[in-house]
Amino acid sequence: MNTNIVAIDNLVKRYGENVAVDHFSLHVQEGEILGLLGPNGSGKTTTINCLLSLLQYDKGTVTIFDKEMQPEAYDIKSQIGVVMQNVAVIDTLNVYENVDFFCGLYIRDKKLRKQYVEEALEFTGLTEYKKYKPKKLSGGLLRRLNIACGIAHKPKLIIFDEPTVAVDPQSRNAILEGIKKMNRDGATIIYTSHYMEEVEDLCTRVVIMDHGKNIANGTTTELKSSLMNRETIRINLPNKSEDIIKGLKEINHVYKIKEDGDDLVIKCDGGEHNLVHVLSYLTDNNIPFGHVSTELPTLNDVFLEITGKELRD
Amino acid sequence: MFGRIFLYNFKAIIRNKYMVGWNFLFPIVLATVFYLGFGNLIKDDPDNFDTTEVGYVNTNQEDSSFETVLEELTKATDDNVAVLSLHKYDSKEKALKAMTSEDVFGFYVESSDGIETIVPKNGYHATIMNQIVREYENKKGVIESIAADHPENIEKAMDMVTENLSVMSEYDFGNNTSPYVQYFFALIAMSSLFSSWISTAILEGLCANMTEQGKRFECSPTSKLMAIVSGICSAIVLQAISNAVVVVYVQKILKINLGAPIWNIILITTLGSALGVSAGVLIGSFIKNQHLLIVVPLCFTMICSFFSGLMWHQIKQYVETICPIFNRLNPAALLVDCLYTRATYGKTTMYYQDITIMSCMVVGCLIISAFLLRRRKYVSL
Repeated sequence: MNTNIVAIDNLVKRYGENVAVDHFSLHVQEGEILGLLGPNGSGKTTTINCLLSLLQYDKGTVTIFDKEMQPEAYDIKSQIGVVMQNVAVIDTLNVYENVDFFCGLYIRDKKLRKQYVEEALEFTGLTEYKKYKPKKLSGGLLRRLNIACGIAHKPKLIIFDEPTVAVDPQSRNAILEGIKKMNRDGATIIYTSHYMEEVEDLCTRVVIMDHGKNIANGTTTELKSSLMNRETIRINLPNKSEDIIKGLKEINHVYKIKEDGDDLVIKCDGGEHNLVHVLSYLTDNNIPFGHVSTELPTLNDVFLEITGKELRD
Repeated sequence: MFGRIFLYNFKAIIRNKYMVGWNFLFPIVLATVFYLGFGNLIKDDPDNFDTTEVGYVNTNQEDSSFETVLEELTKATDDNVAVLSLHKYDSKEKALKAMTSEDVFGFYVESSDGIETIVPKNGYHATIMNQIVREYENKKGVIESIAADHPENIEKAMDMVTENLSVMSEYDFGNNTSPYVQYFFALIAMSSLFSSWISTAILEGLCANMTEQGKRFECSPTSKLMAIVSGICSAIVLQAISNAVVVVYVQKILKINLGAPIWNIILITTLGSALGVSAGVLIGSFIKNQHLLIVVPLCFTMICSFFSGLMWHQIKQYVETICPIFNRLNPAALLVDCLYTRATYGKTTMYYQDITIMSCMVVGCLIISAFLLRRRKYVSL
């Protein structure tokens, strides 16, 4: 049976009148990559700061490794690695010195620390840049340095707070592959993001957060299966008109039609043979059409279904 | 752990070009500017007091009380060497020739129109010569009256003039410390208080509510108090080195006598560094805004330095007359006072009082800061 590494129960954090985290609960099991998904301002970073005991919270409990998390819970902190949303390195120290400094806050043994630092540099692909000052690094390399500083001490629990913001696709892929490897090596990971593709690709379980609340929780498959009776049909329709859209809307189970360039995106709610009905309508009315495809629900559809808005709104 | 944090803080600061510029180079540049401005008034070592070679021409062809004054000033005392070495000439041309050949620095021409001072350039000797004439003119009536009525007391009258020669008294005050040296003391005090920037920069890296680095640090299992103490130590050591460089530069390169053994001055400035650092820690423990963390220590340093006499050496005396408590609380004024007292009077009660007040301020600032900065959860980040 899996054990809870992190347990957040009924967490409430207020900033004056504004409730940033609203009775939020979260349990993370050993070996998981848990994705904390939500739009900007949904309370993800505040939750992480409360989890790390950086922020005072108004209500709730936070336990990590079955112990209550406190600012001076050094035994817990020694097993946690944190990769902050913003780059947190020292500008006047070079890459090696930065990783060595932050790793040294956890690992006192000089020989072991040297080994860990070199492994972290290799893992993040920074070995050849180890003499570089952070200002000489590109945005992607700087993010990798940020990660190296957070994970060099080989923590059991690693928290990534939107580590790929403003990162080029190549570096993003490298970061995501690295996170998967860390997980394979035994680390439990909490990954916050507002990029659903990353979360879908990376996480074994997803918690969707909005307005400080836990609004959905499950594996990506579980969340999407809740929308499995929904169908999205995309048709290339260059000569579309109001009449055609009106006619399509009258088909049973079609509940929403959206124009997307030359395409029409038709959302169907339940029912069977929706594609057949749509195509019949088009052929019966001699309406020419091009490529036709159906799409499975995405996490964005799940988010849209639950919150009524797009994830990146 | 303490050593590693100390070492990395040291490395990080020494590589910060702004810190090096303001804490190491700026005081040296300012010391050079001071030296160029009035260094010639004080640069000579008082222990090697330089007698001014002066020429004198009297075109009146009668006894002159001014000549008597000059002759009095040629006499050396047990404590001091003679102020002047007098050379008499019977014509202005001969005196001019002697000045050109540098037998004398300058000369006086006394005529029925008064006393004319002729000097080839400005500087310490020119100031001495001008000041003598100024003092003589002020006391002329009294001296002439004494010379006429009580010639036996003329020596006392001469003493009155020489005692009141302000240049002499300034130059030869107490243990031979010029008030102009106070500018250098104020400069050293300013340099010490610059260390408040170093400590606020170190604090920024350790507090989660200030920087991302601080968040990373507070997520680690390292004692914050220990890290702050380590950071403070590295800041003090760095600033003490910076101050020592300034002191050595002023005393050995610019040849400005600071009036006390160099090791003693360095020890006092090290206490000044500790004062600057602890003041910075206190400022950092109250202020969370990163921009204010630059502006406030700067204002603190410049205001304290101004009132310690960095721009006008008499401001400290003026403050002393209207609000003496301000001088007891102004760290720069305390440091200047401590250095000046040590240089002028030696290790007096006042010197130890300054040391005690500064030490108490260091301890007080650090205790308050420790209370405010202990590891805790923040209300907001």
